[in-house]
Amino acid sequence: MDCGLLQAMAEEDEEINVHNEETFGTDLDAQGTTEDPSSGLLQFVEPLPPPPPPAPPTPPLPDPKPPSRHSSPSPPRQKPQCLPRTPLRQRGRGRGYRGGLDRGQMFEDPAVMRIVEGRPNLKVMKMVYLLSKKLQLRGLASRQLVLILVCFAFKTLDSAIMHSPIITGSPIFSRQPLTPRQLYNQVYYSTRNQTYSDTVKQKYLHNVFLFVLNQPGRFMFPSSRPCPSTPQSLTPKMMQLRFGANSPRPSPFYSPSSNPVQHFRYPGPVTQLHPQHKRLLSQKQGAFQRKFDGWDPYCNLMTTKEREWITRLQMIQLQSENPYLEDYYYQEYYRRIEAKMAEEELGIRGKREPPKLTTPYITKTDSYAPVVHIEGSLGQVAVSTCYSPRRAIGAVHATVISTLQEQKDMRQQRLEVLSKIEKLFIALLEVEETARMKTPVLSEAEERRLGEKTQWKVENIYSQLQDHNPADSGGEFLPFLLVSKGKRLLARLLPFLKQDSALKILRIVTSNLPTLMSRDAEEALPVLYPALRNVIGGLSFSQLIKVLKDLITSEPLSTYESLTVTCQNKFGLSLLYALLSQGEKLLSSGVRLEPSIGDFETWTDTIFQVAGQLSQCSLVEPLILPSNLLTLFCRYLDKRTVHQLKSNIESATGFVALPS
Amino acid sequence: MNYVPGTASLIDDIDKKHLVLLRDGRTLIGYLRSIDQFANLVFHQTVERIHVGKKFGDIPRGIFIVRGENVVLLGEIDVDKPCDTVLQQVSIEEILEEQRLQQQAKQETEKVKMQVLKDRGLSIPKADNLDEY
Repeated sequence: MDCGLLQAMAEEDEEINVHNEETFGTDLDAQGTTEDPSSGLLQFVEPLPPPPPPAPPTPPLPDPKPPSRHSSPSPPRQKPQCLPRTPLRQRGRGRGYRGGLDRGQMFEDPAVMRIVEGRPNLKVMKMVYLLSKKLQLRGLASRQLVLILVCFAFKTLDSAIMHSPIITGSPIFSRQPLTPRQLYNQVYYSTRNQTYSDTVKQKYLHNVFLFVLNQPGRFMFPSSRPCPSTPQSLTPKMMQLRFGANSPRPSPFYSPSSNPVQHFRYPGPVTQLHPQHKRLLSQKQGAFQRKFDGWDPYCNLMTTKEREWITRLQMIQLQSENPYLEDYYYQEYYRRIEAKMAEEELGIRGKREPPKLTTPYITKTDSYAPVVHIEGSLGQVAVSTCYSPRRAIGAVHATVISTLQEQKDMRQQRLEVLSKIEKLFIALLEVEETARMKTPVLSEAEERRLGEKTQWKVENIYSQLQDHNPADSGGEFLPFLLVSKGKRLLARLLPFLKQDSALKILRIVTSNLPTLMSRDAEEALPVLYPALRNVIGGLSFSQLIKVLKDLITSEPLSTYESLTVTCQNKFGLSLLYALLSQGEKLLSSGVRLEPSIGDFETWTDTIFQVAGQLSQCSLVEPLILPSNLLTLFCRYLDKRTVHQLKSNIESATGFVALPS
Repeated sequence: MNYVPGTASLIDDIDKKHLVLLRDGRTLIGYLRSIDQFANLVFHQTVERIHVGKKFGDIPRGIFIVRGENVVLLGEIDVDKPCDTVLQQVSIEEILEEQRLQQQAKQETEKVKMQVLKDRGLSIPKADNLDEY
C-alpha cells in the first residue's frame, strides 16, 4: 500500500478543512448532528457482517457532539489488514468533522473495514477519495456519505442493482429525497458477494455522485449562521471596489464573497426596496414552493450563493440617490398600495364610495321631445322618432357673443390662461420637489439658501398669478380660479404662501364665491378646501369677520340669495362651516380678540342670518362637519331653533352632529 | 422567485429551455444553466437550429458559453406546448446544403444588383458591419 499517497491525501484533507472553514464558517452543530445518524449507523453495522442487520434502527443518538463521537470507543475495532494507519494531525477534530472526511478516520471505521475485502483497488480508492473531496468542497461530505461511497466502491454489486435506478439514473429517486441512511441501506443490502468490473463501479459512482449532488435540500449543510462579530454587510462602496482591478476571480467558490454573512433570502442590506415591497416579498417567500416536476439531473448547477451574488450586484446597480426622480412609477405604486392598506386598516373613513362614472341621466318623457339637450354639451343627443328625423348637430352657445372678434379674444385669453397655468405648474412641482427632499445632510447655510430659493420661486408664482391681466378678467387670481387646473395649482401653492398672501386668496375666493360656484362645472372646487381650511385656522377674529362679510355680501346677489346658493353647494357650505367653526374656536378659547369696531355685531348678525338660512333651506352634505357648530348656535339661539338646525344638518349629512 | 422585482433578471430563467438569437444570426436552443452580471450565458445540451424556408435542421453542439454582448434576444421555450407543425425537420446534411444554396442565391442577386447600380452610377455600401457603428 502506498503510504506516501495516503500521506499526501491527508495533507490535502487539511487544506480542504481550512478552506471549508473559511467559506462556510465554523458553525457545525446545526447540520452535523441532526441529519447525521451515523452513530446509529455505527451501531447498526457493528454486530454484522454476515447476518443481515436488524430492522433499520432508530438511531438512539448518543449525545451527538462530534468530538465525543470519535472518542467513544463503541465499536470493537478491527485492525485494517493491509492499510497502514496514517499519522493524522488531529487538528481540530471537531472542526474537521465539518468536512467529515479524515483519511485515517475513514479507514479506522469498522464499517469501512468490514467492507474492505482483499486488496483494494488503488484506482477505485483514488476515485472515491476525489469524489469525497469534491463533496466536501460543496459542503456535502458527511460521514455516512463517504461510507456509502466506499461501500459500493469496494464491494461488489448485486445483479439486481445492475438495473437499479442509481445506475440507470432514472428518476425513481426523485420521488422522495433519500436520507443518507436510506441510501446506505439500499446500497448495503445490495452489496453481496459478487464481483464486477471497475468500469461498472465507476459508472455506479458517477451516477450516485450526480444524484447526491442534486439533493441540495437534504444533503447540503445550510449556509452558515451570521457570525455576530462580523459586520452586517459590505457597504455599496466596498462592493464596488470588488470589481474592476480588485474583482474577485469568477470561480464559483470565490465569487460569492467569503463573508459568512451571506445567508439572506432576499437582497438585504444592500437594497433599496420599498418597505411595503419587502413585506410583500417576505409574504410570498412563505408561500413559495419549488415545483418538483420532471427531474433534471443537471439542475441547480448554479448555487444559491451564486444567484444571490448576482442579485446583489443587480440591486447595487439599482441604487440611487433620488428614487422619486429616477424610479417614479415604482415609488408611486408602492406609496399608493401603502396608503390603501393604511386606509383599510383604519376602517373606511366617512362614507367614501368608490368614484363612480357619472353619465348624463336622460329621462324618458311621455311627451315627445324632438330635441334632447344635455347641459354643457355642444350638440344634441340623437333622438329619432317617426315624426321627425334626426337633426344635425347644432352648436348653440348658451351666451350670445356679439362679434366674431370677441369670440376670438375670449378663446385667446382662455388659451393664455391655460398655458400660464402649465408653466406655473412646472415651477410649483420644483418647489414641491425641494420641499419633499429635505435631507438632513445639508449644512445650515445650504439649508437657508435652499429655503430662500424656494421662497423666491413661490413668490414668483404668486405674483404671476396675481398680475395676469387685472384690467380684463375681473380681478387678480380669478381667471385661474375659474379653470379647474388653476384651482388645483392654487390649492397646492397655498401651503407655501405666507399668511397675508394666503389670506388675500381666501378673500378673493369668498367674495367671488357665487361666480365660482356657478361656473364650476367639473366640481373641482373641493380641491381648494383643505388648503383654505388651514388658512382659516390661522385667522384672527377681525380677519375672520371681514371674510365672512365678503362671503355674505357678494355683489351681484343679495345676502339671502348668496346664502341660499352657498348652502346648496358642497364647497360653499363647507367653507361657511369652517369659518363659523373658527369663530367659535376663537371666542371660546378665551384669547384676547382685539376686535375692530362693529365686529361683534357683524358676528352675531351673521350667526342669525346663517342659522335662519340653514334651518330653512335644504342642505347638501358638506365635506367636513366641524364639531363645535352646534355649541356656537346654542350660545346665540333658542332651543327650538337649535333643534331644528340640528335635525336639518343631520338629515343632510347622516351623521349625528353633536349630542345636544 | 424573482428576487429583483421591478426589473428584469435572468435568475428565474435558469434551468429552463431557451432559445437565443445571436448577433451573427445563429439560433441556439438549450438549457440555461448559469448567468453572470454581464448576461453571459451558459447553455447545456445546446442545439443550433438552422432554418431555410420551411425546413429546419438541428445540429447538436453540447455546452455553449455565450458572451452577453452578442445576444440579440432570449426567450423561454415552453416544453409542454405542442410543437409547431408547419416546419419540417430534415437531416443536418440536407439543411446545410439548403443553407449553402440559399447563401449562394443571395450572393448572386446581390452581385447582379450591384452591377446594375454601378451601371447607373450609384453605389450603396454594403451594410456588413452595421452594428459596429
